[in-house]
Formats: sequence, C-alpha cells, structure tokens
Amino acid sequence: MASLARAYGRLLAFLFAAITLLWILVLVLVPLGAMIDQALWWRESKGDVSLAIDRLYNDIALAQLDRNSEKDPAKQAALDQQIAQKQAEATALEAQEKNPPKTYGFANFTRMSGLHFYIFVRTILYALMVTLLALVVCYPVAYVVALASGPRKAIVLTVALIIPYAINELLRVYAWLMILDYRGVINGVLGWLGFLDLDNRGWIPFLESPSAVFVAMIYTYVLFMVFPMVNTLETLDRNQIEAARDLGAGTLRIHRRIIIPHAKPGIAVGCIMTFMLSAGSYSVPAIMTRGQGGDWFSQLVYRQFYESNNWNMGSAYAVSLLVVCTAFILIMMRLFGVGLRDIAK
Amino acid sequence: MRGKDVRLDNVTIRFGDTTAVHPTDLAIHAGEFFSILGPSGCGKTTLLRTISGFIEPTEGRVLIGGEDMAGKGPNERPTALIFQNLALFPLMSVAENVAFGLEARGVAKAERLKRAEELLALVALGGFGGKKPADLSGGQRQRVAIARALAVEPSVLLLDEPLSALDLKLRQHMRAELRAIQRRVGITFIYITHDQGEALAMSDRVAVMSRGRVEQVTTAETLYADPATPFVATFVGEQNVLPGTVASVADGVARIDTPLGPITGRAKATLAPGAAALVMVRPERVALGTGRENTVTARLAARHLEGPSVNLEFEHDGRRLVVTVPNGPELRDLPSEMTLSFGRDDALVYAEGPLAHG
Repeated sequence: MASLARAYGRLLAFLFAAITLLWILVLVLVPLGAMIDQALWWRESKGDVSLAIDRLYNDIALAQLDRNSEKDPAKQAALDQQIAQKQAEATALEAQEKNPPKTYGFANFTRMSGLHFYIFVRTILYALMVTLLALVVCYPVAYVVALASGPRKAIVLTVALIIPYAINELLRVYAWLMILDYRGVINGVLGWLGFLDLDNRGWIPFLESPSAVFVAMIYTYVLFMVFPMVNTLETLDRNQIEAARDLGAGTLRIHRRIIIPHAKPGIAVGCIMTFMLSAGSYSVPAIMTRGQGGDWFSQLVYRQFYESNNWNMGSAYAVSLLVVCTAFILIMMRLFGVGLRDIAK
Repeated sequence: MRGKDVRLDNVTIRFGDTTAVHPTDLAIHAGEFFSILGPSGCGKTTLLRTISGFIEPTEGRVLIGGEDMAGKGPNERPTALIFQNLALFPLMSVAENVAFGLEARGVAKAERLKRAEELLALVALGGFGGKKPADLSGGQRQRVAIARALAVEPSVLLLDEPLSALDLKLRQHMRAELRAIQRRVGITFIYITHDQGEALAMSDRVAVMSRGRVEQVTTAETLYADPATPFVATFVGEQNVLPGTVASVADGVARIDTPLGPITGRAKATLAPGAAALVMVRPERVALGTGRENTVTARLAARHLEGPSVNLEFEHDGRRLVVTVPNGPELRDLPSEMTLSFGRDDALVYAEGPLAHG
C-alpha cells in the first residue's frame, strides 16, 4: 500500500485497493459465503405445526359452541379466557409455520443418501477419467502446436483449435448427441455399410454408456487443457531437445526427461481446469445421457434446487463438490511439485 | 577417446531457393583443433549442424572416420555438439546433465554417476554434481556443457561459439582451458566462431568462410601472414587497403599505381597490366622513416593510444594509412609530414574482390 501510494499517489492507490477489495468481496466472499451459510442450516418440516394449529382451531370452535349455550356468566368468562388463550397459541404457531426457525448444523452434509453419495464418488471418478483422457489426447496436440511446427503452421493449428469455441457450448454438445445417437452419424454410417441393422434396433447404444459424456466433455474442454500446455511448452528452448538428441536420446526419452518435466506447470493447470469444469458440468451430462446413462452429481445439485426446492441441501451438495475439487487442486500441485507461482505464470 | 577425421565431400546445402553452403570440400584431421571462422550468416553454423546430423546436405557427403554419415541422425553419429547457449537441462542436477548421454545409452545409474563425477573432475568441477545449472557461474556452466558432451566419448566435438556469452576475461581464460582439454582428451575439436582472436589463439588450423564458401584453410600463422583472398586479408586482423591499377607483373612481383604512388608487392593472384587491384599492408609492417622498398609521404592526421602500441593515422591525398608502432617516448614530437616505408614482401596484391567490412 505504501509503495503503491509512492508510485501512483494516494488517490490512485486508494482506488486500486478499493477495487481489489470490492473484487474479492463480490466475486469470492459474498457468493461463497452465501452458499456455505445456506448449506449450514435447515428448517424443521412444517407438518406437525400445521396439525397442531388445526387441532387448536377445532378446540376453539368447540369452546365457542359451549360458550354460546352456557348461561352461567362465571363459566362464560372461563370459556372466553380459554378461547383467547388457544387463539394466542394458534397465532404463535401460525407465525412459526410461516417462518419456521432455522437450525444450524452439518445435517445437510450427513443427510446425503447412499445413492447420492455413490453418484458423488462416481462423478469424481468420471471427472478424473475425463481429465486423464483429455491429457492423453491434448499432449500430442500441444506438443505439435508449440514445438514441432513452424510459426505459420502453429498459427493455423491454433486457429483450428479455437474455431469450434465460436459456437455455443450447448450446440457443440448437441452436435455430439447427433453423432452418437441411436440413429446418429456413426450408427448411420455403420448401418449403411451393413454392419448394423438399425430397423430392428440393432444400433450401438453409445449414449447409454458414460463414455458418450466423456467424449463430449473432452471435446468441450480440450482448449482448457491444450492452451496451458502450449504456453509452457513454447518457453522450452528447442536447443535442449536437440542437445538431448545429440547426446543419443530417443524420442520417448526426450519427452520423458526434457519436455514433460518442463511442461509440468502447464499440465497441472490444464488438469485442474479440465477437472473442475467436468466435475461441475451440468449441460454436458444432462444432454448426453438424456436420463438413460447415469446422473452426474451436478444434475443432483440442480434437482435439489429446482425440483425438491431444498436450497439448503443443494448448497450442501455444491459445497461438498467444491471441497473435493479444491482438494484435487492441492493434490495436483503437490504431485507435480508446482507452486502457485508456477501456475500464475 | 580417439579422434576421428571429418571429411566434407562436395557438400552443398540449400534451403529452398537460398544456398547456405556452396559446394565445399574440407578435410579435418583426426585429433586436431579446427576452427571455422566467419561473420554471422556465412554458413558456418549450417556446416556444423550438417556435421552433427541436424541437417542433411542437399548434395555431397559427410564422412567421419571414413564412414559415410548419410541417413544417420545426430544421436547415431560419433559427434557431440556444444550449443551456443549451452542448452544445459535446467531441471536436472549438474551430475544428471553430464550423465544424460550415458543414461540414453542405458548405462546403470551408479556407473553413470561415477563417470559423471570423473568428468566433472576433468573440467575442475569436482563436487559440483549436486547443484543445479542455474546455481553455477557462466564459466562453470561452460565446463558442465563440455563434460556433458565428453561423457558420450565422442570422436569429434563440435562447438558452436560456446564462449560468446562470457565476458572478456573469462573468455580468454576459457580459450586456454578448451585448448588444454582438447590436448588432454585428444579428440577432434571443430570450433565455430566469428571471433578471430579465439580462432587464432586456439586452433591448429582455421577455415575462413564467407557467404557460404570456404575462402582459405590453413594454420593461424599463415592465415595472418599470408591470407589467400581480400576477404580473409581484411577479416583477420587490421589491414591498410589501397586500391590501384596493375602497372606490371614479373616473377610474382606486381607493380601497382595507387593514390599513394607506385607500390611493389607480392602478387597473390594472376594479375594483368591495367586491371584493378587491391594492395594490403598490415599496419605493424609499416615503419616510420625510409629504408624499405616502398616509401610514402603522408600527413599525420590522428593518433590512437592502444597501451603498449600506438596507431598513427596518416593521410595522403584523401587516403588513410594506419601505422602501428610500439609505444615510446620517441613518438612524442612527431613532425606533421613524414615519410613511411614498408617492404615489398609486406605488401600483398590481390585482384579486386569483396572485403570483410563492406
């Protein structure tokens, strides 16, 4: 702050600090805080309260009848008092029904059903597999773009990589749906070639296996894996590759000992991005499975919010996913021996 | 380690339409320290990369130890290359760097680390194996690169201006060190440089290249005393260049009419009377006063103190003539107009041709 003020003057330095704080507040603290708060409380179910209120109103109606047929003023007064008391009780309960009290605790997290927990674990595993497959697919691409082609070819390749991203993500996923559908492009071609009998439902049910989601996800998130890798690979001094070759190393060893170690920060960033995106992706599994493959956890979160109307459970689910993803980032960083500084680069 | 000879047989290298190296024959003896000297862009690095196998010649053959290298990649040749920027592996330790070539050859870890330590000792870096290249000084990194290249026991070591990144003092020290290492290991060194000082100080023989052609191959002494072409004459060392026309030629002695008057010198080319010619005289071969075959009267225009010597700049009819003389008290009061002289053997006469500095 002091050095900022020296460099830019007090007013500007104050503005910088204020904007940074606002940024942190609006983009990180408030949404995250709201979600964590939402996840940490719940309201008791309203059924019992409504029943008690109904019962009170019954009692009040009965007392009213008794009161109307009673002649003794002393007994009338006693009944009036009883009615007023029950009325007050009912009013209090009604207020409670309208605005039930919050209870804070971790119940939203522990209340997850066995099936949902299974889907949660499976989603993490699927996301890991997508990440791994994307890494395998993208490393050669990144290598070719960054190191194995001249500057002109690299530009063409980069543009070719970016062009699909000019199309909306949903459309891209639907395109894959059309390719993998029962009567989609692949089945259609195979049927036309005579390998499959589509008229008797002899198609390959791609969409019923999780790999359909994998394919669409890899296609959707390829760029997030490729670009961090290209960025780090581009900084590799090509002389090192030549030196290794000159010293007798074969292609595999050059990749293993020279190129991959150098690309580590890029690989870590690419894996983190792809994992986060695929673990949290809603549209890709929703579209690709059409309810025929298994659900992904993100779909459960969506249902908690918009179908069960239980925002507290939904938030708890979302927070659980966030915690696991954060843990994944930390593990990746430790595994690849990269610090925040390398990733920021 | 045994050195091998390297022969280039009519090697030509073209990239598309441009010819980087014109047809070249070169014979480098086994175990010699051979330099290829030339300005940047003359094709010397291309030639080196051809020998190491990164570039296949468009025409001609590269033979190492008599064996044709056609179709052999850099990892299959008995050569090792030291890059201009050294290209040490920054993520590996110094010992791993040196052992990398052995690792690629499948030598067991203990064995190759032992060998790396020996090589590090050879280049006076014993005990530095555990450090990272970034922790070393420029000169130490240099020596790591040498050790790494020597680890694969090459018959020919190729060096691509490896000293250019060092400061002057270190560079001079490393020259002597490189020469000593070459003597010790006895293999062929092929050294690329644009620095004539390096080439002259270290090499057994030097090839001077210009625009994709080898101009002259000879020992350092001959290169300086008896350059074959105007380019070599002006690229190596300082030179007074006097253009003129040939008056007569007889028995290898040419008489040239120059703006400084007639000069007789040794003919370095076949010269016909009336043709344009260039006379070259080294500044230190010109003496103050008379007494030699060629005399010139000129006006003292400037003096530049070099320390042990002084460069006196004379002018005659708009032509410059630099004379280098040992520094001494007798230079204090020089007359403004002086007679200078140099021997017939000190003046070399060439047919007109390209010079090194424009």
